[in-house]
Amino acid sequence: MSDATFTPAELELMKGAESPIEELGERNLLSPTMTFNEITESVCAPIEGKTPLAWWIGFAIAFTGLGVLGGSITWLFWKGVGIWGNNSPVAWAWDITNFVWWIGIGHAGTLISAILFLFRQKWRTSINRFAEAMTIFAVICAGIFPGLHTGRPWFDYYMVPIPNQMSIWPNFKSPLIWDVFAVSTYATVSILFWYVGLIPDLATLRDRAKTKARRIGFGFFALGWRGSNRHWQVYERAYLILAGLSTPLVLSVHSVVSFDFATSVEPGWHTTIFPPYFVAGAVFSGFAMVLTLMLVCRTVFGLKNIVTMKHLELMNKIMLLTGSLVGYAYAMEFFVAWYSGNQYERYVFINRATGPYAWAYWSMISCNVIFPQIFWFKRFRTSIPVMFAISILINIGMWFERFVIIVTTLHRDYIPSGWGMFHPTMWDIGIYVGSFGLFFTLFLLFLRWIPMIAIAEVKGTLKHAHPHPHHGADPMHDEASAHDALPAPAE
Amino acid sequence: MSKREPYQLTPAPAGVRKHWKSLESFEASVKEHDKSADTEFPLGVGDIEGLSRRGFLTIAGATTALLGLEGCIRRPVENILPYSQAPEYLNPGVPMHFATVTERRGEAVGLLVNSYEGRPTKIEGNPDHPSSGGATDLLMQASILDLYDPDRAHTPAQRAGTSWTTKRFSDVDTLLANVTRTHTADRGAGLRFLAQPTNSPSFVRMRAAILRRYPEAKFHTWTPVNESNSREGARLAFGQPLVPQYDYDQARVILSVDSDFLQTEQGAVAATRSFAHGRNRLRTGMNRLYVVESTFSTTGANADHRLAIAPSMVEPFLRALAAALVQEHVDFGPIGAVIGASPADGLDARFIGALAKDLVANRSRSAIVVGSRQPKHVHALAFVINGVLGNFSGVHPTVTFGNPVDTDEGDQVTDVTALRDALRAGSVKTLFILGGNPVYDAPGDMQFAESLDKAETSIHLSAFRDETSAHCTWQIPRAHELETWGDQRSINGTLAVQQPLIAPLFGGRSDIEVLAHLAGEANWRGYYVVRQTMREALPTSLSFESDWRRILHRGIAAAAQPFVAAPPFRTQEVATALQQSPARHAASPQSLEVVFAADAKMLDGRHANNAWLLELPDPMTRITWDNAAILSPRTANALGIANSDVISITRGSSSISIVAWMLPGHPDNTITLPLGWGRTAAGRYGNGQGTNVYPVRHSDALHFATDVRVAKRGGTYRISQTQDHNDMAGRPIALEGTLAEYEADPLFAVKRTPTPRALPLWREVQYRGHKWGMTIDLNACTGCNTCVIACQSENNIPTVGKEMVAQGREMHWIRIDRYFQGDDVNAPEAVSFQPLACQHCEEAPCENVCPVNATVHSPEGLNDMAYNRCIGTRYCANNCPYKVRRFNYLNWQINHEASGEVPATKAMQFNPNVTVRTRGVMEKCSYCVQRIEMARIARRITGSGLHDGDITSACAQACPAEAIIFGDLNDANSRVSQKANQDRHYKLLAEIGTQPRTTYLARITNPNPELSPATAAPAAHGQAHGNNEAHTETHR
Repeated sequence: MSDATFTPAELELMKGAESPIEELGERNLLSPTMTFNEITESVCAPIEGKTPLAWWIGFAIAFTGLGVLGGSITWLFWKGVGIWGNNSPVAWAWDITNFVWWIGIGHAGTLISAILFLFRQKWRTSINRFAEAMTIFAVICAGIFPGLHTGRPWFDYYMVPIPNQMSIWPNFKSPLIWDVFAVSTYATVSILFWYVGLIPDLATLRDRAKTKARRIGFGFFALGWRGSNRHWQVYERAYLILAGLSTPLVLSVHSVVSFDFATSVEPGWHTTIFPPYFVAGAVFSGFAMVLTLMLVCRTVFGLKNIVTMKHLELMNKIMLLTGSLVGYAYAMEFFVAWYSGNQYERYVFINRATGPYAWAYWSMISCNVIFPQIFWFKRFRTSIPVMFAISILINIGMWFERFVIIVTTLHRDYIPSGWGMFHPTMWDIGIYVGSFGLFFTLFLLFLRWIPMIAIAEVKGTLKHAHPHPHHGADPMHDEASAHDALPAPAE
Repeated sequence: MSKREPYQLTPAPAGVRKHWKSLESFEASVKEHDKSADTEFPLGVGDIEGLSRRGFLTIAGATTALLGLEGCIRRPVENILPYSQAPEYLNPGVPMHFATVTERRGEAVGLLVNSYEGRPTKIEGNPDHPSSGGATDLLMQASILDLYDPDRAHTPAQRAGTSWTTKRFSDVDTLLANVTRTHTADRGAGLRFLAQPTNSPSFVRMRAAILRRYPEAKFHTWTPVNESNSREGARLAFGQPLVPQYDYDQARVILSVDSDFLQTEQGAVAATRSFAHGRNRLRTGMNRLYVVESTFSTTGANADHRLAIAPSMVEPFLRALAAALVQEHVDFGPIGAVIGASPADGLDARFIGALAKDLVANRSRSAIVVGSRQPKHVHALAFVINGVLGNFSGVHPTVTFGNPVDTDEGDQVTDVTALRDALRAGSVKTLFILGGNPVYDAPGDMQFAESLDKAETSIHLSAFRDETSAHCTWQIPRAHELETWGDQRSINGTLAVQQPLIAPLFGGRSDIEVLAHLAGEANWRGYYVVRQTMREALPTSLSFESDWRRILHRGIAAAAQPFVAAPPFRTQEVATALQQSPARHAASPQSLEVVFAADAKMLDGRHANNAWLLELPDPMTRITWDNAAILSPRTANALGIANSDVISITRGSSSISIVAWMLPGHPDNTITLPLGWGRTAAGRYGNGQGTNVYPVRHSDALHFATDVRVAKRGGTYRISQTQDHNDMAGRPIALEGTLAEYEADPLFAVKRTPTPRALPLWREVQYRGHKWGMTIDLNACTGCNTCVIACQSENNIPTVGKEMVAQGREMHWIRIDRYFQGDDVNAPEAVSFQPLACQHCEEAPCENVCPVNATVHSPEGLNDMAYNRCIGTRYCANNCPYKVRRFNYLNWQINHEASGEVPATKAMQFNPNVTVRTRGVMEKCSYCVQRIEMARIARRITGSGLHDGDITSACAQACPAEAIIFGDLNDANSRVSQKANQDRHYKLLAEIGTQPRTTYLARITNPNPELSPATAAPAAHGQAHGNNEAHTETHR
């Protein structure tokens, strides 16, 4: 892909540029020649232009997947969870695997928008909206699994502490209750954070709307945003507070999810390494998913100037880091199993690597630990096909990680007479494929209706967003474009 | 719920529910529209169509009369009396217990049956009956389900071609009257009866009456798993058909010669009890069990020393043993010369030598028991050996004899062949088949079905319209033993009355009633016949009525009689028979031998439609819903056969295809074919399950055959097992040690399972009041699986079907794990059984993780399940280290019902005190909490406290070995406390700190030091005995 790198002219310009991003020691990732207007136009184009055929094709496929989900759920309600392959001893299988996997994917969004925001990593601006949307959709997908995996889902509300005539509270000792709180908090904060970030951009769309319906629709959600100084001040403060609230959630949600396993007595689950290991894995898989989606969108919607190779390379570096972290965790689990001298623990790990599910274990190791090592080389780190392939492999590998943790522990634990095997059924597959349908349906609607890149924030990283008189006149800094940084009044 | 029109003045169209206000109007409407019986019983009980008008009015009248007081009750009109708890008024929800009796392989076993409002729901043993002692076997536990089988024949019917015409019982009476008329004229020439062997004095009395009335009539006896060899052996040895009984408690050395006396043989319940007693004499002379067998039975699994040999080698083995005894200066008298010449080649001389020494060292304290498969002269030889070893005499004779009830019974193969020949010759005009299913289970070479077609009138009295009915001209429903009167005498002479608990659900007659009818008894109903038998059998009394009430109350009419003294041996006949025995067969992979074994669950096929039994895993193979050709791994390898391969087995012109399955420890060059499967007309559950092996079971080789051809047929067949890992993976699970190890360190078990010294998560609860607990003595448990069915029956546990078992979804609350030990997959050193149910942990991992508090601890220490609260996250099951929680993945009660609902009769079996679980909830052993609560309520009313033994769980109550004990751990004198204080006591997985409330007692084996592996080849057994490191795993 020739467009993946900058032209010599652009590089020349970037050398001399002194944008805000450089003050913080980051290199400018966008072409300094970009104007505010160009950004607005390119981000708004997919929303305002004619729907591309590719979108319709994608939507048709995704919507079919959603239909599969609906069908699977209907049958699940009609017959019961027995339509899945779950059994005794493997009472959790694909259901919880999918839950943990989707929740993990969500983590990248929060990490990018909250933690990188607090660390003032300006390069996040090109991808944060996108990643946050992905977070929310992934959390929605994740949420359906614990909701549906119960035997009697119509009584799921027993898990919520609502005063009731039976005077029974949930069991606050149960990690599943912690999950309920962790995931619902996470979903709430993520949606708020995303929505607050959207307000200025929704106002931009409102102002650019050519139909009344759009004007009313976007206007409603823009909450009367006028771009006044006072608005910006309040907005920035709210955004900072939400970022501060989200930050611990990045760590807490997957830590709590890992407690489902870590607090149990099952060998292979009962380990203290789980919380950090799960968080690292979540970030790992989340970045892989963001990258997969981003690579497609920036090509389809022509956003290569905003999401540049530098962004992609930085994400690859994070994946290399987190991938190595989970690799370390895998190794440490083995070490501890051996070092503890606990025969049950030892057996579980030997069984993982050599037992009937060894293929899943080695898929996990290859996809998560071995293949990402290719990113040590800049040549591969900056190759679009390589990173696309690796990102998909990481997603597969991380799914297998959860599968391995859940199923290989359960299928052979303490008493050999109770050992068994798990085999998925078509309904296991159906509901998993269906969750992709839900995810992509939501995602495609997002792409068509909401700015997929945070217009206002990206503009903030441009050099000319921050005029510095002592550096002399900035040729790019003119009244029109400065005004454009703030949503202009309707023409 | 359909809405009803409030005022319906015009006649309702067809299909609309009719209303009636009195019996008269209902009767009128019956005449008007025959099908309205369906509206009376909308759930399908209405299939009582064909019930006679009189019969209907009897039931309806009785029901109506009792409506105000007792609700819907179906109970017999004759008076029966409750056993012990007799509430003045019938209390709904309070069960009554009635004493009755059943028959198992020629032995009578006394029962107590729980009945709720006239519905029998649970069968227990009668503690007063010596062959029960309060326990049962698994078939008795399951037989309650047979009563409610929806596929039972509902009406009498007459066959023309393949179509059946429904008849009424009045037609049956007409038929019997016609038969009477015909054969009164010809003095019974052409009148034949085919019955099953009997213990019933009433049956014998009625048979005699028939033979008086029709002197030329003939009775024949056939059942495929019979005691003919033993009887004929006794006839050979003693000149009369005595029935041996063994006291395994007093015996120090027990030798089983191809006998599965702990599971499928006659008297297994009492045998298990006395064997377990002898097992637990750890300080006072524990018994030692040697098993020589041609298959791998539950008894073999309990052996201290086991020799697996081909069936044709069993007789040479016993002769070689006798020869070794001669060497040891045992005086065999005149036949010593015949015996002394027996060669021991091809046999384990070391085993025989050590066994002979052991027997001689324990003269008059040993027992040699021969399996019913072995020919009569082997039985005779064993009687001789028992006799010369002094086992018939002494203070506690270990082998005693009783007289059979039916002294006329001869060799059954000969008998049924005679009937077949008469049928072929056309000399049978009327044939009554009283129970049994000879078309299915007669020897395959007899072509019984074709012969049966030649009878002019053939009347099949059977519970099902089965394979045999299809070749009879009439089929009459045979009442279940809980529906009808009868009597049974056990081998030791205990006489017991079988009383009905419920009026026959579909009408139905008993064998006795049919015979009495034909014999011209005016009062041919079973009640009168049995009453008359008792009147004749018991000493003359002025107050027979009160005697009769006492009999019904206790279930026992006459106590055990003194033992029959063994008459002198007919040495010359025994010697002749031994000299005539056929030449030895040399088994090899090219010349395999086949054993036809009674199935632990199906027995001979009579329980083939019983879903509980179908789903119960076989004690040894753990296979459910199927039988298989069982062979050793070595033989399978030699033949190139893998598990699940379909093979064909041919003998003569008959051939069957059956799936092959390897069982470690099975004799080489031998194939075991379990009987009783592959029924084609058993009913909705049993049809087509497994393979029928009767076609290759021929009358000249009823129990084992040598000249069979075995070939791989190609293709595989999927087998469902509940346990596919056969080794303990070196873990301290089912602990055991030898007697020597135990004597050296009585606390060896607890030392292997230390409780961790970790701080508990929560403050430990002090249990004041009751503290329910359970101990399971692995030294007593024989692995018979009775507890599994008892639990299923008590707790409304559903069956899930073969496919679901394959998916690992069986629902048994208690399971019996079976592990092999040793390094050699062909010769496992030992087998361990371990019953495993919810352990009711003090620190229950399941309780912490339930998000909705659906599983919580009770104040008495039970780990309770609140089904209504359970939402089914299954987290508790994941976190259960014992994996004993079972989940309702689907609505199991109806999942494999084609109709989509529980058959109405089957629903009658449910225990009303136990919730029938819906889909989506978790369940598990509750320690039979309903029994605890019921006893508590009862004691609260009477004001007395709960005492040890007032409450027991279903598994503990049924266990014939008394391996499971339930009770109050806070009561220092309770049996469970005493068990829990024994030195063999340990907690399963104690090291993870769950503090289980159910605890185990380690098993102790008693190997002969002369045969211990250490003295044989110390190098080959580097690992210490019993360390369980071995891996013997069958490969699927």
